[in-house]
Amino acid sequence: MENQEKMMTGEESLHIITEMINRTKGNIRQASFHILFWGWLLFVCSISEYLLHKFTNWATPWYVWFLVIPGIFVSLIYGYVSGRRLRIFTYASMVYMWTWLAFLIAGTVIFIVTSKDPEVFPPLILSLAGMATLISGVIIRFRPLIAGSITFWIFALTAYFGGPDIESLSVSVAMLTGYLIPGYLLKRKENNNEIQRA
Amino acid sequence: MKYRELDPLLHSQLRLAVISLLAGVEYAEFTYIQEQTGATAGNLSVQLNRLKDAGYIELIKKFRGNYPQTICRITPLGRQKFAEYIDALKDYLKT
Repeated sequence: MENQEKMMTGEESLHIITEMINRTKGNIRQASFHILFWGWLLFVCSISEYLLHKFTNWATPWYVWFLVIPGIFVSLIYGYVSGRRLRIFTYASMVYMWTWLAFLIAGTVIFIVTSKDPEVFPPLILSLAGMATLISGVIIRFRPLIAGSITFWIFALTAYFGGPDIESLSVSVAMLTGYLIPGYLLKRKENNNEIQRA
Repeated sequence: MKYRELDPLLHSQLRLAVISLLAGVEYAEFTYIQEQTGATAGNLSVQLNRLKDAGYIELIKKFRGNYPQTICRITPLGRQKFAEYIDALKDYLKT
């Protein structure tokens, strides 16, 4: 941009304002990492619980869910380190970050209050995940993620009404449709955007 | 009809681009602004300091590893002046 004291017309001013605002709109980099990380982690936990429950005599297959605790630390550390590298932090990024932190806090509260009735935990957490995923999809304007959020609510209902076997499978399938498929599509889009920027 | 005067501090290509960019974000790093505006480092530095002196933006100097980093953030005054500039611009464009 050239020297700055040159007089501009109103149209030129408007053009600069619009162009600059458009350049920062919806700029959320590497959003796919957390979606894919949690998609795989929760898919492995839920399918393992189902298989252990179905094919072994182990009395407490739900122990596999303790993998979520190190997962939280991995996610927080990754978010902190990658956040420090960011050269721009948009309001969209801020809403995105707080949506998932709120999900983490609300999920912990739900885990505590449903500890005496653990069967209701999966449908509740899937409903909450659906909400956070929908907000994320709307913020980054990514339709597969919005569609994925709807599948969370469908599988929350099947988890509640389907009995213990269907419950674990519902969580597994919800991870595929809600996180993993949209996550890989988003990763592909991010990679394409990086190539175009280069 | 009497027109509101366009803020001379904002009515310049580079400073307007900087304020427009910062108005849409929580913060942006110097090199990012340089990349988006296509300005030279020296030129951008001068204009950022003019905006800072007027209280429109704040500049935060810190280190990332061994490298110095300048973070730019719009202030409430800068936001207010930008909104006033847009209002004045709307009046101007209506005529």
